[in-house]
Amino acid sequence: MLQPLRQFFRFQESGLLIVILVLGVLLTAFAGTVRTPKFERTADGARQRVFITDAEGNRTPAFEEKNKFLNAQNLAQLAKDTSFIAIMAVGMAIVIISGGIDLSVGSIYALASVLGAMVLHHFGPEGTALAPLAACALGVLVCLATGALCGLANGGLIVALGVHPFIITLGAMAILRGIAFVATKGQSIGGFPADLREFVRFEMGNGLSVVPLLVMVLVTALGWIYLSRMAAGRRVYAIGGNEQAARFSGIRVGRVKLGVYVLAGLAAGVSAVLSLGYYGAATSGDGQGYELNVIAAAVVGGCSLTGGRGSALGVVLGALIIQMIASGIVILGIDQNYSQIIIGAVVIAAVVLDNVNTWLAKRRLTRA
Amino acid sequence: MSYIEFQSVTKRFPGVLALDGVSFAIPRGTCHALIGENGAGKSTLGKILAGVYTADAGELRLDGKPIAPANPLAARQLGIAMVHQELAFCPNMSVAENLCLGDLPLRAASFVDRPALRARAREMLASIHADIDPDALIGTLSTGKEQLVQIAAAVGTGARVIVMDEPSSSLSAGETRELFTLVRKLKARGLTLIYVSHRMSELFELCDHITVLRDGRHVATEAIPATTPARVVSQMIGRELRAQNPAHLARPAGPERLRLEALSSPGKFSDITLSVRAGEIVGLAGLVGAGRSETVQAAFGLDPAATGRVVVNDKPIAPRSIEAALAARIGLLPEDRKRQGLVLGLNCRENTALASLPVLSRLGWVRRGAERTLADRYQKRLRVKAPSLETIVGGLSGGNQQKIALAKWLARDCDVLLIDEPTRGVDVGAKAEIYALLDELACEGKALLVVSSELPELLGLCTRILVLRNGRLAGEVPRADFSEANLMRLMAGVESAAA
Repeated sequence: MLQPLRQFFRFQESGLLIVILVLGVLLTAFAGTVRTPKFERTADGARQRVFITDAEGNRTPAFEEKNKFLNAQNLAQLAKDTSFIAIMAVGMAIVIISGGIDLSVGSIYALASVLGAMVLHHFGPEGTALAPLAACALGVLVCLATGALCGLANGGLIVALGVHPFIITLGAMAILRGIAFVATKGQSIGGFPADLREFVRFEMGNGLSVVPLLVMVLVTALGWIYLSRMAAGRRVYAIGGNEQAARFSGIRVGRVKLGVYVLAGLAAGVSAVLSLGYYGAATSGDGQGYELNVIAAAVVGGCSLTGGRGSALGVVLGALIIQMIASGIVILGIDQNYSQIIIGAVVIAAVVLDNVNTWLAKRRLTRA
Repeated sequence: MSYIEFQSVTKRFPGVLALDGVSFAIPRGTCHALIGENGAGKSTLGKILAGVYTADAGELRLDGKPIAPANPLAARQLGIAMVHQELAFCPNMSVAENLCLGDLPLRAASFVDRPALRARAREMLASIHADIDPDALIGTLSTGKEQLVQIAAAVGTGARVIVMDEPSSSLSAGETRELFTLVRKLKARGLTLIYVSHRMSELFELCDHITVLRDGRHVATEAIPATTPARVVSQMIGRELRAQNPAHLARPAGPERLRLEALSSPGKFSDITLSVRAGEIVGLAGLVGAGRSETVQAAFGLDPAATGRVVVNDKPIAPRSIEAALAARIGLLPEDRKRQGLVLGLNCRENTALASLPVLSRLGWVRRGAERTLADRYQKRLRVKAPSLETIVGGLSGGNQQKIALAKWLARDCDVLLIDEPTRGVDVGAKAEIYALLDELACEGKALLVVSSELPELLGLCTRILVLRNGRLAGEVPRADFSEANLMRLMAGVESAAA
């Protein structure tokens, strides 16, 4: 009886799961209820309002009381929002574990979205018509390639110039968003082939968009495999833990670093594809401030900013915590403007907790 | 009359008991030597007095009153200052600014009073007769000059006790003489000095009393006239240290494995030519700064400025390339285990496999079974004492960490092992095990080049010893001529008549 419990607590991410459970319970308890119209599905699958016919034959629309947090629609929304951040956070985790940081993910996301949107628009219904499937494929490819290339540029500059990644990616954050703005002249770009939107927005049950969710699961799994099962991932931990020792062990540090920034860029590209499909338009202002949420997710998820520590699953749970807090702010009716303050405070609290934990572990070692 | 008293001082670091109930006393106005091998706890003791560390147990007394400096500032206020080996100043600020950093002379509205600053700095420097420009940036000074500035800062702020940690280790002969003159003057002024060093000759020249530490324990405190260097050496090392007759000596050496041809690196070492045969343990001795570590690092491809040739098994390898060195099966156990040898946050298995990832992985996947088998084999063979393969290396003792760092190269099946300070920060028991292990490796036909600052270690272990002096090969001592005196003479460049 105790054994599985003990194993659960030894499991690295169990703390995060507990936090998520507690947050969920608290939100459910304090969210209150909302009256929503009731829907049902007809035989041919269409949605229609439910009406109650009373004894006199009057039809009145039916309503139901739902918990504001714990209802299918809100949870589906939460899952979708989480997936955009979580995908980028997996890339960020790899960078942070290697001892680096990437501040430009939000801008990479914007540039990839915008360039992808331009391609989709060009070959979409309003432009040179191409087979919709080919147009979509091309758009997706451009998105991913843009992400990877931006990452390559970041990594290349960091390795070649030997400048701290904070500086390079801070510059890239401004430059890439600037390029996105110049390319679009600040305009929103839409008019994509309908197929992409239909695919990404494919819903199951009560408005649950499964595609972003599945992509998130896939990216998490790939990130987990990369970090814990592949030689490349081991090298990432090694250079994050002790770059000099890694070099002394024959690890090509520059090459590994280049790789992690490409992966972070690619993850931003994947998120950009989903956002194009989901929102059907892109502007150069997309993803503003995402770097805060993404880094927050990674840090809350257990990545150490000094490098060498963290996991893919942890950061996805971290992303979920960040989104639950963001969504909680809406549900509890707190002024939206406070969300940045609260998320910022959560990041600092997470790092302080982590430091306390490290200190305790060190003390245990000394006592032993 | 004792001025400073240590009573049962104990200090523990993760995995190491650095000081174990050390008690002794120091009279006022004397220069007191603290000597011991690396890891004996002499620096730790000095740092506890200066507030860098706090003792876990025991008591310090200054002039009869118990003290417990919680940090260097508190120690300063008690009149205790420390002169550090490493940079203790802000390199981009001037000598004057650094000297007055804790107490800048100010004008109205918190503006720094520059003339007053300069005047005060000049006065502090003059009080120790140091000829240093107060406007020079600290970063542009030599180590010796910077040490003088540290001493000036200590004396200028009213220190009564100065702890000097290996002050002469990176000084030239001339600078060392200057330092000695200064120490004598300070003593004459009634200051008490604690001189941490392992250079016997200096201590006998300079100090009044000597305390010997071994493995964190107090061995003896004696007046200098009452003891001799030989006596101190025997106190330092105890008896068990030497592996007297390593087995590899009985076997004929095999073919040449490693040859360095005119290996040079500007400013570090030049024209090093040596060869190591299978089954040999060749020692590389020299004083700090002679270029020993730099030479083995260059042989491993770590020095981008190196010229000359590295030949392994009669095949020259590309210099300046770690990949080439690894492909030729050279392994380097670096000098600084924590910074260069291990990733402390990873576990035993991951550290052991770190250099073998290309061998252990297929299509980028780590073969976990093979990895575990390999790590387990070397953990057993090297008798690493760790709860499991998954134990984080940072929590192990120095000796076990060193074994893991060595296991990394054995797992890679290296023919040539470059071993830099095999037993630094390792306790006595583990030392003996590491010596036995190195002997065993030589018996198996590996070629070992061992760098060490501890002469008894080289004398006990090696087939022959090469001596470096100022970056050049000063000579070779065959086993038949092994003695500390012979080596020291070559290391220090003293003619044989002087010995």
